[in-house]
Amino acid sequence: MTLDTPTPDDHAALIQAIAQRRDRAAFAALFRFFAPRVKAWMLRGGAGPAAAEELAQETMLAVWQKAALFDPGRAGASTWIFTIARNQRIDALRRERHPSTLMPDPLEEQESPVQADRVMAMAEQESRIRAAMAGLPAEQADVIRKAFFEDKVHAEIEKELGIPLGTVKSRLRLAMARLRAALGDLS
Amino acid sequence: MIVHHPSETTLLAYAAGTLPEALALVAATHITQCAACRRRLQGLQAVGGVLLDEMPPAAMSEGALDALLARADEPAAGLPPVLNADLPPPLDRVALGRWWPIGIGARWRPLQVGGSAWAGLVHAQPGRALPRHGHDGLELTCVLSGSFVDGTGLYAAGDVSEPEGDHDLPPVATDLEPCLCVIASEGMRLRGLLGWAQRMIGQ
Repeated sequence: MTLDTPTPDDHAALIQAIAQRRDRAAFAALFRFFAPRVKAWMLRGGAGPAAAEELAQETMLAVWQKAALFDPGRAGASTWIFTIARNQRIDALRRERHPSTLMPDPLEEQESPVQADRVMAMAEQESRIRAAMAGLPAEQADVIRKAFFEDKVHAEIEKELGIPLGTVKSRLRLAMARLRAALGDLS
Repeated sequence: MIVHHPSETTLLAYAAGTLPEALALVAATHITQCAACRRRLQGLQAVGGVLLDEMPPAAMSEGALDALLARADEPAAGLPPVLNADLPPPLDRVALGRWWPIGIGARWRPLQVGGSAWAGLVHAQPGRALPRHGHDGLELTCVLSGSFVDGTGLYAAGDVSEPEGDHDLPPVATDLEPCLCVIASEGMRLRGLLGWAQRMIGQ
């Protein structure tokens, strides 16, 4: 495995090594790839450098602690780590206001047996989405990125891009339709 | 069987983690009960995973990994306790205020959530109207038990109503049994008695 160009399969294997053996070398490899990306996502979402670093740390700590819950038949490695980072950010925002209402993840609540064909499908899912994103017109990819990474409501995207709200919504709908088509039976 | 689902943009905001907490609770109530939306959500979260992969990295500070490995034996944070065992997840773990009467045959109970939107339970006796409201933001209603009808259709347990624009016809509980819903809104100003109750309790 080359750490410079890790594949989704490598990442899933690293998470499973943590789950099975508390493998610190596997965790270090995962940390080197994901922690700086989670930090960058937090920065883009408006967190200051110290808060972004702390949220990246908390995300990676949760990856270590929850590795046994990772189910490669339900989500790819990047998807799973994305949801953990997202939940860390939500929890951090809530703790500032309201300590009692941390929300369980509805996907985590579901019991389902791991199926080999689902594992294959999930491994393939991320690469199909990657290809579909690359094939989107720039302005459609842009509204998707803003919706995910910049914590902006549509009205703010509208202001920033200088295009009417109806256009933001229709770009988003077009982009989602293209991504749905790429996901096909997988979603 | 669930027939009414949240919109694609609402699910996208849920996947991205940008839906206000009150609305996210109603969306999660539906998603927990709806296999189709769980699959849709999984696909949207996978888009988030791909975008995370493609993020230009921001360097972590020196020693960050060692600091983290030193904490490796810390226990994971648990879920908050179940407060309302009679409600479906995730509402079962959210603190509730008291019931407020809102006219004849209907009552309202706020959920204690933070953020830019608010949420609560509405209970209406058979045949009674749920409060009318106008919208200046996203509003989500998920039926917990019973059913209601409005100008757009019949909503039964698990269904989500995500109206666009003002309701022409107010939602009315069907005749068979009382209707219990969870409602969240970011901009709704309720009219009539619920509006009064809302002002009384300072929401």
